[in-house]
Amino acid sequence: MADNYTGPLERLDANRWRIPKSYKPGMNVDGIIYADEDILAAVKQDKSPEQVANVACLPGIVKASLAMPDIHWGYGFCIGGVAATDPKKGGVISPGGVGYDINCGVRLLRTNIPLKRAEKHMERLVEQLFTTVPCGVGRGGVVKFSKKELKRLMTEGAPYVVAKGFGWDSDVAATEAGGRIPDAEPDLLSERALERGHDQCGTLGSGNHFLEVQVVEHIDDPRAAQAMGLEQGHLTVMIHSGSRGLGYQVCEDALKRLHDVPGKYGIDLPDKQLVCAPVESPEGRHYLGAMRAAANFAWCNRQIMTHLAREAFFEVFGQSAEELGMSLVYDVAHNIAKMEPYEVEGRTCELCVHRKGATRAFPPGHPELPERYRAIGQPVLVPGDMGRSSYVLVGRDGSMEHTFGSSCHGAGRRMSRGAAIRASKGRSIRQELLDRGVIARARGRTGLEEEQPDAYKDVISVVNVLHAAGISHKVAKLRPLGVIKG
Amino acid sequence: MEPSFEIFDHTADAGLRIRAATPAGLLRPAAEGLYAIIGELVPADRWSRKTFEFEGSDASILLRDYLAELLLTFERDGRIASADDVTGFDDRRLNVTVRLAPVDPKRTVYHHEVKAITYHELAIRTIPGGYEATVIVDI
Repeated sequence: MADNYTGPLERLDANRWRIPKSYKPGMNVDGIIYADEDILAAVKQDKSPEQVANVACLPGIVKASLAMPDIHWGYGFCIGGVAATDPKKGGVISPGGVGYDINCGVRLLRTNIPLKRAEKHMERLVEQLFTTVPCGVGRGGVVKFSKKELKRLMTEGAPYVVAKGFGWDSDVAATEAGGRIPDAEPDLLSERALERGHDQCGTLGSGNHFLEVQVVEHIDDPRAAQAMGLEQGHLTVMIHSGSRGLGYQVCEDALKRLHDVPGKYGIDLPDKQLVCAPVESPEGRHYLGAMRAAANFAWCNRQIMTHLAREAFFEVFGQSAEELGMSLVYDVAHNIAKMEPYEVEGRTCELCVHRKGATRAFPPGHPELPERYRAIGQPVLVPGDMGRSSYVLVGRDGSMEHTFGSSCHGAGRRMSRGAAIRASKGRSIRQELLDRGVIARARGRTGLEEEQPDAYKDVISVVNVLHAAGISHKVAKLRPLGVIKG
Repeated sequence: MEPSFEIFDHTADAGLRIRAATPAGLLRPAAEGLYAIIGELVPADRWSRKTFEFEGSDASILLRDYLAELLLTFERDGRIASADDVTGFDDRRLNVTVRLAPVDPKRTVYHHEVKAITYHELAIRTIPGGYEATVIVDI
């Protein structure tokens, strides 16, 4: 296949490639892509390197426009993109650097259920989860929130729904930012956003969102695994979802609102989809306030589904979630923008870090980590595909030095949805998954075909690049046993 | 030119290519294309009418706004629409009256949840015999 990107990519070392800022007018910093040679060859086939260069043109961008090895084409920003801007130097916030699904993210529950005990229950467990956790188009949640409650939920984040009985206090401590970004402004959300969100908190959605029952197949770092409560041969539960229609609408509203704003501030953009506003402008603050509210909604969404998953396990195993040891290992956002302090040219700056398809990966000792992870680093959850594996990593020192405390977020697609359906012709993906030991249930007619394992790159290649680069290290490999999808 | 739509591959998302003899003629197949991405939506036989008005500076953005409105109407109210009477569609305004009906859940099959109607590659261009619009839908 012909390359779509033919610009410069200079090798910096075994895992990094540079697009020099001389590549195109307007670039303020270099672009840096984390990849091995195989990943890079695939990356050049889409326009994502050009998007890395375009992001380097944003006002106030610091150090480099970065891309993780799961880089692929996105709207404006590539998926897998990380960009930090300095508000004191005119740095901007761009909704395209967060994406439509604000605070799409992943959480992982551990259990003390050995695979041997679970095997005979697996079919019933998947069915019970499929019944208990609302998923798919048009499925409302089990809880309906009034607009007043919704606004409170978006202000207070995960602690609000935990206080209502949907989870444990320890869940909050194991969630990035404690499940609540301060300074959320739900009053800035449009009526449409509230309408789209009112019955969707606690629903999985569709597309690549999933709930998966897994087994810890291999442990690379026993000390970190022990701190997380992960034991080889025991079950885990992974949940991947975001802010649902509410978040999509916040993004849509922002794109409309900011349409003419770059011109107002004299910002010249190489791609209209990078529409943005200075962080410290009224327009920038407006988006940040609304985005934070949607982010808090997403943490509540995953929190309620956690509660529902625990109920499903209780139904099947006849023991409470506490008895089954179903504590939350961690919850990470991978579509978000946050203010975080970094050393830049010898001084500490509060930067606006955009992560679009990238996961925060703070190293050991970072003050924002909960006590139990202070010595090992932040858990980084990297879902793969439903036939092979997912990974648990921990952030390392290199992440603070090179990637604004960020790592990868997944495997990345290698086939379009249509191509995946065509490749499934004459096959039963459900049976193929079963042959691999994975029980799958999906509501959509083409969900399994579109999300089949072959549609994705093998996540191990992505994880290995960042392990070798000292950004995040491998802790455990998780193998899927059962999956529900919308 | 008969109004028509086709769905094309677009990485993790889906694209719509819509053709019609006139700009106003694009509205009906555009909605049909959006609904085809969502699923096989069967309307219950309880039709009502509603008028939508949009203002702007670009016909393609008005088409996008119209589809975004239909997406919201589907997601919020469970209703699907068919353009019935277009009284104005140019770069500055779109005025359309639609027939609306609730989706019959028993006869409907869903394929995808549509997150948004994007601005990516959004365009209306003239082609021999009419007009062609391109819209990318985020799934």
